[in-house]
Amino acid sequence: MKTTIRRTIALVLLVVAWEAASRVGWLDPFYAPPPTKVAETLGELFAEGRIWSHLQATFSAALIGLFVGLLVGIVLGFAAAVIPGLADLLEPVMILLNAIPRVILAPLFVIWLGIELPSKVMLALVLVAVVVFFAVYGGIKEVDRRLVERIRTLGGGRWELLRDVYAPSVVSWVMGNLKVSVGFAFTGAVVGEFVASTRGLGYLLQFAQSTYNAALTIALILLIMAFVLVLFALAERLERRLVRWRYG
Amino acid sequence: MLDIAGLTLAYGEEPVLEAVDLKLAAGEVASLVGPSGSGKTSVLRAVTGLTVPRAGTVRLDIPVREVGFLFQDDALLPWRTARQNVALGLRIRGMDREAALAEADGWLERLGLAGFGNRWPRQLSGGQRKRVAIAQVLALKPRLLLMDEPFASLDAIVRARITQELVEWVEREGLSVLLVTHDLEEALAISDTMHLLSQGPRARIRASYRVPIARPRKLIEARLDPSFGPLLDRLWHALEAEVQGTATAEAAQ
Repeated sequence: MKTTIRRTIALVLLVVAWEAASRVGWLDPFYAPPPTKVAETLGELFAEGRIWSHLQATFSAALIGLFVGLLVGIVLGFAAAVIPGLADLLEPVMILLNAIPRVILAPLFVIWLGIELPSKVMLALVLVAVVVFFAVYGGIKEVDRRLVERIRTLGGGRWELLRDVYAPSVVSWVMGNLKVSVGFAFTGAVVGEFVASTRGLGYLLQFAQSTYNAALTIALILLIMAFVLVLFALAERLERRLVRWRYG
Repeated sequence: MLDIAGLTLAYGEEPVLEAVDLKLAAGEVASLVGPSGSGKTSVLRAVTGLTVPRAGTVRLDIPVREVGFLFQDDALLPWRTARQNVALGLRIRGMDREAALAEADGWLERLGLAGFGNRWPRQLSGGQRKRVAIAQVLALKPRLLLMDEPFASLDAIVRARITQELVEWVEREGLSVLLVTHDLEEALAISDTMHLLSQGPRARIRASYRVPIARPRKLIEARLDPSFGPLLDRLWHALEAEVQGTATAEAAQ
């Protein structure tokens, strides 16, 4: 609680100092518009209703990319862990994808899938799937052998191992990576829109940058941060619910 | 009940143990003692099929599902509550979920854990987790109990209490037990027969000893039996000779 209060006070002080610095002319409003101007821009975006279709585009790309990316990462990670031949095939590709900044794939997805939603979804999906793949693959490979042997000595076979050991283990690993995945999904959606699009927060950011509109740029950055923080909180609640044995 | 003949187990080139013969009668409690690395645990693993022998046979007079294995670690599923962990084996054996949980509650109560059923393993003490693990195995009504130093991690008082309770259960139900332990005194107090394994690799059963202490036993009183001291002394010297013999052989090399 004390930490929260301290952080809030620090944030408020920063905003007040920023506003004051702008008003006395220490900061050029062209580059660093005061917080009141940013808030005004943000208010206008909502008041005029222009923001909604952009929000919808970004959220659709991020959430579809997140969901499908989780699914693809879990399925591929699981399959690679239990089918040795598949691991030989998938692991090098995933290691390569993990090693590069995956957002460089955005132009390629635009060429392949066009400038509408699918290319943004694909970028978010790839960003998420690689992280989840390694979480699930590593999680299953390193599952506690004692638990596996426990199930076997109790008479369990493949189904019981899947139900009682591997599935809960995978849930635990995926939930541990959910917040990172949410961040990656939004990165994919916004960067994808930034590269080429007709809608979305990334598109708006690109527009704000090309018109040198610093107030709009900061307003959009704050908006994205706020939404991602809300999703982080939801992801944490979900994690605490699904892996409550760890927190109980 | 159990007949092990010519058992050879290996994890690499050289066998951990070689040509081990061991018989366990119905209702008999036997201990397997020996230096570290003599493959004691491997024998238990071979009985349950967790380790495949390189040579030899393991013959059971009962179906393998009637063998209970108490591990050194409690190995409870962290994502299942205490009662769900106890019910696990019952469910695997096909019992309906509700019936298995009701049965699990009964076992927890019998082992002094009434009211702890909905706790996660991480919310239980070491002794409580061990009781849950015992309940999980006993709930399956095994006729042969394999125990791999199951109480090694517990403090002395809890260990003595749980061991005594388990011995009483074993005597009442007429279970056969094969216990692996480093603790000679505990093994003597519990067992009818003790088998001493030589130092590995290529460990063998060096000698077997009958323990002439009457049953039912109280573990504290068993230690006061006139035969306890001399037998412990013999075992201790035999074990010491094994360890020193290996050390001498290693030095000569």
